[in-house]
Amino acid sequence: MTTTSFLRSRWFEDIPVGEFHVFGSYTLSEQEMVDFGTSYAPQIYHTNPDAALNTRYKGLIASNWHLCSIWMRLMVDYMEGYSLGVVDGRRNGAGLGFQDLKILKPVRPGHTLTFSHEIIEKSEKILKKKWGIIKSRNEAFNHKGELVMTFVIDILAERNPENFT
Amino acid sequence: MTQSKPIYFETLDKNAYFLTDKITISAAEIRKFATQFDPQPYHTDRIAAETSIFGGLCASGWHVCAIMMKLLSDTLASKNIKLIGSDHVPFLRWHKPAFEGHELYAELNFDGEDKNETNKNFGTILCNVKLLNQENTLIMELQTKLMIEKRSKH
Repeated sequence: MTTTSFLRSRWFEDIPVGEFHVFGSYTLSEQEMVDFGTSYAPQIYHTNPDAALNTRYKGLIASNWHLCSIWMRLMVDYMEGYSLGVVDGRRNGAGLGFQDLKILKPVRPGHTLTFSHEIIEKSEKILKKKWGIIKSRNEAFNHKGELVMTFVIDILAERNPENFT
Repeated sequence: MTQSKPIYFETLDKNAYFLTDKITISAAEIRKFATQFDPQPYHTDRIAAETSIFGGLCASGWHVCAIMMKLLSDTLASKNIKLIGSDHVPFLRWHKPAFEGHELYAELNFDGEDKNETNKNFGTILCNVKLLNQENTLIMELQTKLMIEKRSKH
């Protein structure tokens, strides 16, 4: 049973559909929202708190891609914590793509988001004999408990060589 | 940035095609983004990256998304198209890693109006995006819904 707690060292076969994690919370500051917007999403509602007041958002909001990037950081921190002590600690995690990224509420400076992750499907498809595909639903909720972001992502997970035929 | 006449939803070509500028990604930028958002060895450590699934230091998939957004934003801004947001990306695929030194650019194909989305202030355009490198290898593709401001509300 020792390896089951090492989330990222698990083989494809060892990851159960239905597994659910609330894996992290994060509070966004105005400065980091402006920094991200200035670098990558230079619309005024992501870069200029004053000018943003005159937009449909009536204030600064986070870029969708910034929210996704924060999701990634919290996911890595959570998963890596469980791969300590494993030599090859990463049998799963590389992303293939996602479906239906939806942003349902604006995220503003000072908002705290909490992220959850549920394994919803293991594909029958095998890539290059070695890799299976894990589908998970990911959601972010704000401090009022409102769903603000959701997407379904496909990641690769290595198959246990014992099962190769 | 030009001062051309603003393009609102009503006058927008709903099947327009745009080629963006190019952005070259350096190892330093790959590491900087990854250190903040995706600190995994194949994005932060060149030696460890060589023996990883990707075979070399490559940008986080989310870094590639961010670069795509910059390219798209600058292109639409240069045409003075009144982009006011995006709240749905129906799909995205990461096809190949973006390695250090890659010169990334995007093809933007507007694919008609999304008539399911009705709002008095904006219209929604389906936009298919292909992100390619200097060898025209497809790195990433996605479809996003862009909200374009309506003139009629003024």
